[in-house]
Amino acid sequence: MSSDAPIDAERYPTLTEHGRQMMAFLREHPNAPRFRNESGNRLLSDDVKRVREIEREMLALDASWPRDREPEWLNQFLIRALEGVPHYRNYGSPPRRLADLPTISRAELSRDIAQFVPDAVAADRLINFRTSGTTGHPLLLASHPVVAASYLTFHKRALRRFGVELRAKRGEVGVVLLGLQRKCFTYVSVTPTMDEAGLAKINLHPDDWRDPADRVRYLEALAPEVITGDPISFAELLRLEANVRPRALLSTSMALLPGLRQQLEAQFGCPVLDLYSLNEAGPIAVADPSAGGHVVLQPHMFIEIVDAYGQPVPEGERGEITLTGGFNFCLPLVRYRTGDFASLKFFGPEPVLVQLEGRPPVRFRTTAGDWINNIEITHALRGFAIPQCTVHQAKDGTLRMALNRGPSDVPAIRQALLLLFGAEQRLEIDETAMFDGKVVQYTSELIESA
Amino acid sequence: MSREGPALETLLRRLAETPEDFLAEPRIGRGGSLNVSALVGDLLRSFGHTPDPSIASLFTGAHASQDRNRLMVVSLLCWLLTDTWFRDRSPEPAELMSLLRDEATELAKLTAAKKFVTDPERREELGRVALARLGLRPAGESDAQAQDRLTTISSAERARVVKASSAAMKRAREIRAALVRKAAEESADKYTRE
Repeated sequence: MSSDAPIDAERYPTLTEHGRQMMAFLREHPNAPRFRNESGNRLLSDDVKRVREIEREMLALDASWPRDREPEWLNQFLIRALEGVPHYRNYGSPPRRLADLPTISRAELSRDIAQFVPDAVAADRLINFRTSGTTGHPLLLASHPVVAASYLTFHKRALRRFGVELRAKRGEVGVVLLGLQRKCFTYVSVTPTMDEAGLAKINLHPDDWRDPADRVRYLEALAPEVITGDPISFAELLRLEANVRPRALLSTSMALLPGLRQQLEAQFGCPVLDLYSLNEAGPIAVADPSAGGHVVLQPHMFIEIVDAYGQPVPEGERGEITLTGGFNFCLPLVRYRTGDFASLKFFGPEPVLVQLEGRPPVRFRTTAGDWINNIEITHALRGFAIPQCTVHQAKDGTLRMALNRGPSDVPAIRQALLLLFGAEQRLEIDETAMFDGKVVQYTSELIESA
Repeated sequence: MSREGPALETLLRRLAETPEDFLAEPRIGRGGSLNVSALVGDLLRSFGHTPDPSIASLFTGAHASQDRNRLMVVSLLCWLLTDTWFRDRSPEPAELMSLLRDEATELAKLTAAKKFVTDPERREELGRVALARLGLRPAGESDAQAQDRLTTISSAERARVVKASSAAMKRAREIRAALVRKAAEESADKYTRE
């Protein structure tokens, strides 16, 4: 460890004896994994107050906006952004319509993130979150301990929707974050706004444990109120058959297919939330099947769906999800194109992202010569408990599917794809794939003639 | 030696009363509604000049992040120059183009266009700069007075901007350094990871 590595007083500035005991319990439990790293909440006592204020304010506000106009807060937000953020200052005066401003993307953020940090934010408390995504554009994003801690506010909003109010407290474990990777950042901590309830980020990969059977014992000993992870680590959790009863599972990072979700709900007897969350913006929306898509979570985040030219498309039409606003006061977004696609519809007063898919649409050719959008493949696969997969169409039309074998039925998957593409479709399925993080799910070598 | 122009107060009042049409979004790509190159063409024709075909590309934006503010400043200048005082005297095409092309670009780098309408100091700056580029001085002022006031108001603004921009460069370095110092996941806890 380098000499300028943070010390515990910097990682846990408000730590009490209760918190210390909780971390000792998490770290020194006889079945604990090898924790490889250190983190910490870095919250000063004023920060803790601020996080609580943000939570009170955000949970009291409605996250939707009027169907026929931009939200009221937007004008003031744009005035502040165009005056106080170096990159946006180049735009000149605030416009009458948001859509008159240019869009930005990862490319702009990765060119120089400093241009997106407001003048008013002190540099000394900044932290960063690094993301590589699937585009190869590595990004170093500006954030703050208060922002990181405020993720929980939006998780709480999402959980409320499913009837869950978090109540973990001192002496209990609030959350276990699951990973399943060869190399995974693991640590223990406590959450000051939850009365120092415990937090453990663990890796279910057997190499991280003295005995692979300790994974189940440790999880059962912790009895976390919430388990968070991605479809890959959750598929492993299913396989382990741990006898835990969390009050909810939160899935992020990649799409959670309904089949896996249903199996998780059945095994753990709790709601399984599929969150749409980005390092650039935090938790944006949560899937709610009863609303027909992902419902928005942040009261100060306005979402446009735009075409290739950055112009908003009519309600219900698919396009790129574009964000303005957000709770990361170190990185206010003005028309940030996420690279993810959906349509936006209003169900009653509530804006909902429908058929959310990462990455631009890819077209596939069926044996009948019809062209279908990748979203139809997602539909065909929605009933299967596939943690992660890719589908590629080669120049000769052959489909190659790679999936990591969760509790899924490969012959039935084949059948579903043949139903979509035609019985004569050449189809290769590799069910032994190992993915390292996020992947580009749909690719094709075929070019559709005009 | 400059010629006597209109009363400054007339120009400043005119700027303060800029109609909404001239503050509309300039057309850039598929966005915006105001065709600034057409505005410039109309202005030149109103002075009896034949617009050069190059104005179409000079006053049409390609990238909103670079061109929006500049075109908004050009639009304001067009409104200012539509004043009857100028119409009766028809400024030279070269001077007009120098104002609309070069000076507007410089002004737009420093100031958000609508400030030239709402902020009294910036209004005065735009009025004086426009007159100076056309070889004019405000009515009732001597050359020395006009030059002195223009220098004061412009250089104060430029000094402020230069100071702000060197501070901005220093700050950008500090931000980059602060972010690199704190490795991502060591930084702070979140309940979920993306």
